[in-house]
Amino acid sequence: MFGQGLLRGLQITWHLAFGKAITEEYPERRPSLPPRSHGSFVLEGDKCRGCGVCANACPNHVISIDTRRGEDKKRHLAKFTMKLGQCLFCGLCVENCPSDALHFKPDFELACYRFEDTIHVLFEDKAGAPEQVADEE
Amino acid sequence: MKASAQLATEEIILNMGPQHPSTHGVYRAVLTLDGETVVGVQNVLGYLHRGLEKLAEDRTYTQFIPYTDRLDYLAAMLNNLGYVQAVEKLMDIQVPERAEYLRVIMAELSRIASHYVMVASMALDLSGWTAWFPPFRDREKILDLFEMACGSRLTLSYMRIGGVAADIPPEFVPALQRFLQELPRGLEEINGLATGNEIFQARCRGVGKIDLETALAYGLTGPNLRACGLPFDLRKVRPYGIYDRFEFEVPTLDNGDAYDRFVIRLLEIEQSAKIIAQALRDLPEGPVLAKVPRVIKPPEGEVYHQIEGAKGILGFYVVSDGSPKPYRLHIHSPSFVNLGAFPVMAAGGTVQDAVATLASIDIVLGEVDR
Repeated sequence: MFGQGLLRGLQITWHLAFGKAITEEYPERRPSLPPRSHGSFVLEGDKCRGCGVCANACPNHVISIDTRRGEDKKRHLAKFTMKLGQCLFCGLCVENCPSDALHFKPDFELACYRFEDTIHVLFEDKAGAPEQVADEE
Repeated sequence: MKASAQLATEEIILNMGPQHPSTHGVYRAVLTLDGETVVGVQNVLGYLHRGLEKLAEDRTYTQFIPYTDRLDYLAAMLNNLGYVQAVEKLMDIQVPERAEYLRVIMAELSRIASHYVMVASMALDLSGWTAWFPPFRDREKILDLFEMACGSRLTLSYMRIGGVAADIPPEFVPALQRFLQELPRGLEEINGLATGNEIFQARCRGVGKIDLETALAYGLTGPNLRACGLPFDLRKVRPYGIYDRFEFEVPTLDNGDAYDRFVIRLLEIEQSAKIIAQALRDLPEGPVLAKVPRVIKPPEGEVYHQIEGAKGILGFYVVSDGSPKPYRLHIHSPSFVNLGAFPVMAAGGTVQDAVATLASIDIVLGEVDR
């Protein structure tokens, strides 16, 4: 019979209309994202040795690292900057970090009004001036 | 003779796109119309050209993986798979068993997600608003699964040369099983809302017809070719990875019209679910990444590798000069080839038929323009 398909469709629509809501009212309700979620970055400054492996792994030159020599002649991290405006969030930096210092966190709200705010300084040691620069190049 | 019949009529040119909801991206079709009838179509491409092939020459082999996500962004896993398998072929790398199974699961999930988008957007293009929701609701579950496994939802970058980026978390398998259980009910809803709907059928039965011979001449591949009646699927005829271990059918339909191209996607979703269930059952334990050197340096040479993408045959041609960066990379994208047949399919129909035809070809402009 012609129209049977239409009736069947209307029936399904009826069920969907009175079924359980499948959308979430953001921002009143926040999604609980899985721990691996690529939301934003966090750096454990005491673990990072400033080796620059992450900067070299990055396909888009997002990371720049400043280091300085400490009194013990060892290299220390002075500043860790990420230009998130050009980040692909692929995770190659996190994956390649040899000292497991760089991580993702599910906190995803990074929207900001000014372009300068997309440049994130994840670590800054104000004690001494940077001496050696290991840039993305 | 009546006066109106003696009047000279002229064809008019109508620009569809580049900003048009039914072109599914920035694509322009220059239609030549005789009244309501389309007599000629000219494809105008290149609005989304990002020079990915050139970018590859300045990236290391691993660094290019995130860029493959941005080809066919609806089926990122399949692009990842095609690229990493091409490099692995060049370097002769043996991928661990568990990684192979995970790759199959992810690739098929990606195929389902891509087909869901096609089904939803085609229904939407034909004003089937309600039929948009069930596919997108179910696709959301797949994206959640992806996020669980690799942290991203759309641009996944999950595959690595020699395996996958990370093993799946423990909560992944139960969630996937739940998804597979709920999948038939979702398909039933889509069938009820779109496939069986008389208005939908009237809009796309016999529309944008292409016969097998013309389809082959234009190089159509994937579901569009199978909707013309040829059971050609690379997973069956030239299995790559471990696809020869799974039992599945290659669904075909005979008419080669927009309706068949729609229905074949739904049939393929069922088959993909079948493959995932088998892969999940046989999923072995073990490592997920082979022992590969930290700096990927394939030997001098070239390789061409094809996989069955969501839209058709997806090929990667990689030339290596022995350095850590590809000397040349070429991507054979199915959407680009399929779009070439659009003028033939659309000719003779009306403008609204052209919309249905374009939706049924299922193009992704990220892949067309690269």
